[in-house]
Amino acid sequence: MVNKIKMSIIEKGIITDIKQISGDIWDMTVAASQIARNSKPGQFVHVKVNNGFKPFLRRPLSIGPVNGDTLRLIFLVKGGGTQILAKKNVGEEIDMIGPLGSAFRMPKKDEFPIFMAGGIGIVPLLFLDDCLTNDIQRLFLLGLRSRSFSTVSDDELNKRSIYVSSDDGSIGFKGNVIELLTEQLDNNKLINPIIYSCGPGIMLAKLKEFCEMRQIPAYVSLEVPMGCGVGACQSCAVPKADGDGYYLVCQDGPVFDASLVNLNHGELP
Amino acid sequence: MIVNANVRMGDIELRTPLLTGSGTFGYGSEFEDLTDYSALGGIVTKSLSFEPRAGNPPPRICETSSGGIINSIGLANVGIEEFLGSKVNELPLDKTEVFLSVVGDSVEDFTKVVERLEDVERIAGYELNVSCPNVKRGGLSLGGDREAVTAIVREVRALTKRFISVKLTPHYTLIAPVAQAAVDAGADALTLINTLVGMEINAETRKPLLGNITGGYSGPPLKPVALAKVWQAAQVVDVPIWASGGIVNGIDAIEFLLTGATALQVGSVLFADPKAPTRILNEMIQYCERHNVDSFTDLIGGLRT
Ligand SMILES: Cc1cc2nc3c(=O)[nH]c(=O)nc-3n(C[C@H](O)[C@H](O)[C@H](O)COP(=O)(O)O)c2cc1C
Ligand code: FES
Repeated sequence: MVNKIKMSIIEKGIITDIKQISGDIWDMTVAASQIARNSKPGQFVHVKVNNGFKPFLRRPLSIGPVNGDTLRLIFLVKGGGTQILAKKNVGEEIDMIGPLGSAFRMPKKDEFPIFMAGGIGIVPLLFLDDCLTNDIQRLFLLGLRSRSFSTVSDDELNKRSIYVSSDDGSIGFKGNVIELLTEQLDNNKLINPIIYSCGPGIMLAKLKEFCEMRQIPAYVSLEVPMGCGVGACQSCAVPKADGDGYYLVCQDGPVFDASLVNLNHGELP
Repeated sequence: MIVNANVRMGDIELRTPLLTGSGTFGYGSEFEDLTDYSALGGIVTKSLSFEPRAGNPPPRICETSSGGIINSIGLANVGIEEFLGSKVNELPLDKTEVFLSVVGDSVEDFTKVVERLEDVERIAGYELNVSCPNVKRGGLSLGGDREAVTAIVREVRALTKRFISVKLTPHYTLIAPVAQAAVDAGADALTLINTLVGMEINAETRKPLLGNITGGYSGPPLKPVALAKVWQAAQVVDVPIWASGGIVNGIDAIEFLLTGATALQVGSVLFADPKAPTRILNEMIQYCERHNVDSFTDLIGGLRT
């Protein structure tokens, strides 16, 4: 048999907390000791939002901060499936497969980590932020459409010293998060930056371009529609940058070296 | 009461009638942490072609408002060379029976693949996919042609003594003549059915949900179509039928046995519930206990009409 290092678990977690962060953003804490204890930042869980088969497919969700036996899932209600999740109550069960996929590689000693989140893409970066020891300097950026679409509480923004940009200037820097990144890089003369990012396809595509221009290494976490979540069905393809076929996001990713994937001008699946 | 779950097909005995549907269970090891193989009589692997295939542009899977899913994988697979080099070692040969699914654009494609697979030991048999809706030249168009089905099955039959099931599409006007042709050419079983061609769009953005625009429709909405095709074929052929289409619970599975199927493939349901084989088997046994039936075999073709 082939050596397998990854182990996936199917586990019924118990919801211990659920709260609304802003309009369509929900922050759920789930007790699921086996998955929580084996998770690394960047990995995801494949969540069955309901008993039965409506909706039919599971929903892949990035694993947020882990605390002992619990993990946080922060999600945007964008369809029927996530709507069902948002209506769940404390004490209810939630069926998850995980931890799945690849993790972010940790920054090396001489690298300066920059987290760059777009909207709900902040989730895996919160977990990564927690995994770096306090002595490691970092820069945490979050791009939002506007204050009313915030994906984390003001408390968390302050606690983690997150710099925010908003398209309408209602919070933080007025502009997009790439402009904020440019400003920060240039003003602070950061040496050896390495970027960790997750967010909308269009933002990741622009980031990839930017990083290639400036020769900054970047890791991106991708979200695409999935079937099995475990590498069996080939549903989650993302084109390779060299044009030679596809990677599977559930298995080769969700975290990729940005230079290896073709982000298709932001038109992600 | 002990319910006998075995089913027999020629020389092959399956410990349960449950098989995995091609393309939904990879090469059989991807789900190994999650699925209990003891509930499975066997697995059918992802369709294998001679040349590797990269597959269709993403997105490749979507849900539909009617409850099922549509996929446009495009038969992405590693091709025979890499299969023999690596994937073959992942086959769960110690855990269950393994049937290898084969696909091609021509009769020769099928024979070239099967010829190479004959060297792989301990394989229970082949499933010939003459019915995939996701490739332009081969699959559906090839399988839609009764002469082509005859030619593929006859040539493969000449190469192997192993068990052969032929997987047909629901898209024929009449299934019975093609089913009969496949059996006449030497098929040991028929797999009914592959997916229906379907598509789904987003009216707000005016865009299709799949990169390939159309794909193969599977899951619960497919069940009535599959039941009808199994029923129609069972009227004319006497080889075992492997049912595929919309099975998500034990009662679905029982319905197919009653309609005339001998083995039952679980496909899309595995994405929602990797433990579906165990659950479905238990639900089937409960049905038998309720109805005082002591063997699944006794249910085959038991429909009262
Ligand atoms: C993602 C996906 C990939 C599939 N790939 C194949 C394939 O390679 N070969 C094949 O014969 N059938 C393939 N199928 C069809 C299934 O084996 C099965 O016949 C069909 O999905 C209907 O059964 P279900 O409703 O239980 O899924 C695929 C189905 C799905 C959902
Ligand atoms: S979701 Fe099935 S292979 Fe990635």
